[in-house]
Amino acid sequence: MNRFIGSALVVLLSALTVSAAVPAAITPGEEVLVEKATSGNHGGRLVVALRAEPRTLNPAIAADAPSREVIGRMIADLIHIDRATQATEGALATEWKRSSDGREYTLKLRKGIRFSDGRPFDADDVVFTFQVLLDERTGSPNRDLLIVGGQPVRVTKVDEYTVRLTMAQPYAAAERLFDSIAILPRHLLVEAYTKGAISNMWAVSTPAAAVAGLGPYRLKEYVAGQRLVLERNPYYWKTDSAKRRLPYLDELVFLFTGNEDAQVIRFQSGDSDVLSRASADNFGVLVRDQAAGRYQLKDLGPSLEYNFLFFNQNDLTGKNLPQVAVKQQWFSDLGFRRAVSRAIDREGIARLVYRGRAVPLWGNVSPGNRLWINTSLPRQPRNVSEARAILKASGFSWRPDGALIDRQGRPVTFTIVTSSTSAQRTEMATLIQADLKELGMGVQVVPLEFRALVDRVFQTFDYDASVLGLGGGDADPNGEMNVWMSSGSNHLWRLGQKAPATAWEDEIDRLMQKQLITLDYRERKRLYDRVQTIVAEQLPMIFLAAPHILVGARADLGNFQPSVLDHYTLWNVERMFLRPESRSVRR
Amino acid sequence: MTAVARRIGSSVVTLFAVSVFSFALLELAPGDFFTELRMDTRVSTQAVDALREQYGLTQSPAVRYWLWLQSFVAGDLGFSLAHRAPVSSVIWERAGNTLLLTVPAMLLTWTLALPLGVWIARRKNQWVDRVSSGVTSTLVALPDLLVAMLLLLLALRTGLFPTGGMYTPGAEDLGTGARIRDLISHAFLPLCALVATALPALVRHVRASVIEAAQAPAVLAARGHGISHSRITLRYVLPLAANPLVSLAGLSIATLLSASLLIEVVMSWPGLGPLVVEALLAKDVHLVLSASMLASALLVAGNLAADLTLYVVDPRIRA
Amino acid sequence: MNRPRAIVSVLVGLHLLVLLAGFAAPYDPVEQARAFPYAPPTPLRFVDADGRFHVRPFVYGVMPDPDNFDGYVEDTTRRFPVQLMVTGAAYTLLPGIQSRIHLFGVDSPGRTSLLGTDGFGRDVLSRLLHGGRVSIGAGLVATSCALLVGVTFGTLAGFFGGRIDAALMRAADLFMAIPWLYLLFAVRAALPLHLDTRATFLLLVAVVGVVGWARPARLVRGIVLSARERTYVTAAKSFGATSPYLLRRHVLPQALGVVLTQAGLLVPQYILAEVTLSFLGLGVGEPTPSWGAMLGSLQQYSVLTSYWWMFTPAVALVAVAVAYHALTSMVHERMRLVTG
Repeated sequence: MNRFIGSALVVLLSALTVSAAVPAAITPGEEVLVEKATSGNHGGRLVVALRAEPRTLNPAIAADAPSREVIGRMIADLIHIDRATQATEGALATEWKRSSDGREYTLKLRKGIRFSDGRPFDADDVVFTFQVLLDERTGSPNRDLLIVGGQPVRVTKVDEYTVRLTMAQPYAAAERLFDSIAILPRHLLVEAYTKGAISNMWAVSTPAAAVAGLGPYRLKEYVAGQRLVLERNPYYWKTDSAKRRLPYLDELVFLFTGNEDAQVIRFQSGDSDVLSRASADNFGVLVRDQAAGRYQLKDLGPSLEYNFLFFNQNDLTGKNLPQVAVKQQWFSDLGFRRAVSRAIDREGIARLVYRGRAVPLWGNVSPGNRLWINTSLPRQPRNVSEARAILKASGFSWRPDGALIDRQGRPVTFTIVTSSTSAQRTEMATLIQADLKELGMGVQVVPLEFRALVDRVFQTFDYDASVLGLGGGDADPNGEMNVWMSSGSNHLWRLGQKAPATAWEDEIDRLMQKQLITLDYRERKRLYDRVQTIVAEQLPMIFLAAPHILVGARADLGNFQPSVLDHYTLWNVERMFLRPESRSVRR
Repeated sequence: MTAVARRIGSSVVTLFAVSVFSFALLELAPGDFFTELRMDTRVSTQAVDALREQYGLTQSPAVRYWLWLQSFVAGDLGFSLAHRAPVSSVIWERAGNTLLLTVPAMLLTWTLALPLGVWIARRKNQWVDRVSSGVTSTLVALPDLLVAMLLLLLALRTGLFPTGGMYTPGAEDLGTGARIRDLISHAFLPLCALVATALPALVRHVRASVIEAAQAPAVLAARGHGISHSRITLRYVLPLAANPLVSLAGLSIATLLSASLLIEVVMSWPGLGPLVVEALLAKDVHLVLSASMLASALLVAGNLAADLTLYVVDPRIRA
Repeated sequence: MNRPRAIVSVLVGLHLLVLLAGFAAPYDPVEQARAFPYAPPTPLRFVDADGRFHVRPFVYGVMPDPDNFDGYVEDTTRRFPVQLMVTGAAYTLLPGIQSRIHLFGVDSPGRTSLLGTDGFGRDVLSRLLHGGRVSIGAGLVATSCALLVGVTFGTLAGFFGGRIDAALMRAADLFMAIPWLYLLFAVRAALPLHLDTRATFLLLVAVVGVVGWARPARLVRGIVLSARERTYVTAAKSFGATSPYLLRRHVLPQALGVVLTQAGLLVPQYILAEVTLSFLGLGVGEPTPSWGAMLGSLQQYSVLTSYWWMFTPAVALVAVAVAYHALTSMVHERMRLVTG
């Protein structure tokens, strides 16, 4: 074939593929959201390397991080939490009103906007979405959040662009509930839903035309094991300050890698343009290599994640675990837990495990959560002699060889189980092991495969102590209900309580219930401060450290404003753009 | 020929036994696919139990095995809980990509190992032999993962090779020739890593077998008749040495396949590796079962081929 | 010195060093010097900053660089001469023998980490020596298990043929094809957490070893199969030679090469298996050192690119692999000469 015709064909073809999704003109009556003080240039593509392949594109069932990372760019919610300010803002709902008793919300929907397949959006889609999420057959991880006071949230259509939500009891910060709840296109999913097959819809290999959302991007192509390509949603409902439709970038390409190291290497080599949540170790490598100036790195300070050590205080009746039962006499002793807490070198953890890119923690709320942290909690540094004094006061003593023994003369030995996939938590446990050796405790660290760990902690209760991490979701205390309520499914140290086992757990239960229905922020803060104080005094969990959020992006990426809230880097992807001077140089 | 048919029949029985044993082991390991939802603070215990119920994980093991077997035989290969789709829809394309690595790696390894082993055997106890023993020991002693990481590092530092994946992002717009070049440049490092993990053991076995065979009376006699060295090697030594090597060839399929899984994960190759490793850790039972059935089928086929070859090459066995 | 003797003395030396790790190592392998994470190897010096020569080697004091997590500056104002037979951390030399004497060391607060430190500030040399005990032991145990079972079954299959052969070889196929990872998951779940880690580890190594019988069995079987049909074997049989005699005298010697080659390959492979085992929570577990665990941390990208001294466990393993390979080929040669 003639070489000229060949190359002309290639040019023509590539021109065709790029021009596939031009922003649609704004129609009269369409209530677009104008992002103030936002400018940039259209065009270009952004490549992001994912740690693993997403499992599904179905927003109703996605629970794994890679799926949510991709889906988050394809969907929109009613009321959104601005990742920069941590405050709520209107999204698909332009305004909302709370009834005086706090049980009813009336939401005005954005008029005249369309799904990424061009079909209009209205109240029916919202009603349908909540119907799907609340249906037990869907198996949505969001379902429990939408059950308030034991009753599912009731969603009714008032008119084409108004919906009303009714709850069984007042619910503080109810508007935060809507964040990241994707509004589903009824026209595409209603048939599957009535057949009871909604949870099998939108596998990653679904044809692009069968998937639609209200987010800035829509599915273009999926290549098994390699990549998933999103293209601009031509009907997206946000514009920049010059009233040009967003997003700026034509395409978003997600590459699949096998692990975090591969992800970092692809970023370092320039294959990918954005890096979310690097580990402190890998961040250190990138900082050293940064001299080339090809990418920008940011340390955003403490995340909302809190890591902690906790002891098994579960009720073991009916379980045949005599060895654990004996040790529970120590674990349930507040003096024992306080001594352990005083002996732990939190500064050492922040410095050695996270290379100083973490803050030591003495309570469950990280300093990254500016609205809710109780700053008056005591921050006691490591003090071994004080820890020994506490142990002595609790009736422990030492053998001549230095081993700690309890009143019955039994040596204090136990194991700490961690997840073998989390190098950091195993490292923390190793430091704790050495710290507690100075108290005469014989500690062994046993890293377990994640499922085996969860099985022991949640099912069999066959463990002594564990190092785990929680948090990282929303900043609001409501997200922590399952951890602190004595009946909660993540009340890790003592699961499945019918009634609170201790007076202080009873008090926490009441405080958490009360803050849930209190509408005034300052009053809620007072209640939650008290929860933090009790937890820090009673130490059911011994808090260790909150790691920093460490991210990076190519140097010429405009409007890159990473946040400590999920999703750290791509939350404002619709506003990101490539500075033109460099675009011609690369690719 | 009936012997061959019987042999194939018993291979099918072996495969069936593999599936039963694998399933039983999966059952014994703690937790199931939905276990990880327990760590999600948004999800209640009841919700997780409801999911288990809905996807039939509360049924008896025998029933669940039967359901998988039915689906496997029907061609769907089971249902992947992680992908919420039939296993067949996620596995075949990736299996092809894995073969794209392992088949060339296998050919390359053997074409390198045979002449190398013979050459080294002829220089027994000379410096060539010592150096090769050092190099093979080094490669044997380095974990596959480390070798792959070092190669990646090389790619990153020199910029000569891509740092993972199968195609450059955007390569889909290129012409066929450019795409093939792109593919080869991406496959080069994973291939190197695979050859590096499989080659040392083979070279050693070839060397040992050739040395062994060179001592055989027939070879010594031939040498006494003054027949040229290369002729002796080809006519007498290699056929004598062939026996353990043929067995080894059958086994090397399994070696390469398992090494390939790890290397694919490190090098982001879109084969079975990342898929199966994820599925193993997520306890996506049907996907794991069907993937191990594929691997076993290859392994059993390899051993079958080896046995048949032995039968042909070594006429004495036929007795 | 001739070659065989050199090989044997290197191996004996290596094992003695590892066996007497407590004495040869300057520090307790689990002692964390938290001010010194990833400190590079301390250079041994003879010439000081002023250019003066000292007969007794010395090290300079090292100070962490406050601005840099893994940066260090040498404090040339303080010299710590290296001393032999110093008193330090207590250790068990051999079962029942306690001691505090270490081969070498420097006075506190000086530190000498000839192979640097790891992320907890633990002395890599001490960990390497102590870790060798577990790892080499594990490699040998697992290899012997695999070979013992493999050679027995391979010989039975090849020599008696027929149904025994078919049954054993299908079993071998089965053993090679099953995803053993899940067996390990299951075993870990069944064992109590409180079991002594070393006991757990040796148990599992035995499991891995026994599971690994299939490969040597297939290789041996192929050889035995053809060996028993060789003319001289058939001749011996017709003279009324018994099966055990035939096996010992004529058949098994043929398989020697393959078995020994396998042995040389399997030892390092089983030492490496601990990397996987550690991941599943089946390794020796922190803080007890082992080569597998040390190699596991080397496989992290940040360690691999930043701290070259963390490669020392790989170097040690290569040394062991070379030594065992040399030993097996030497034995092979000797035996062939003996059996003719």
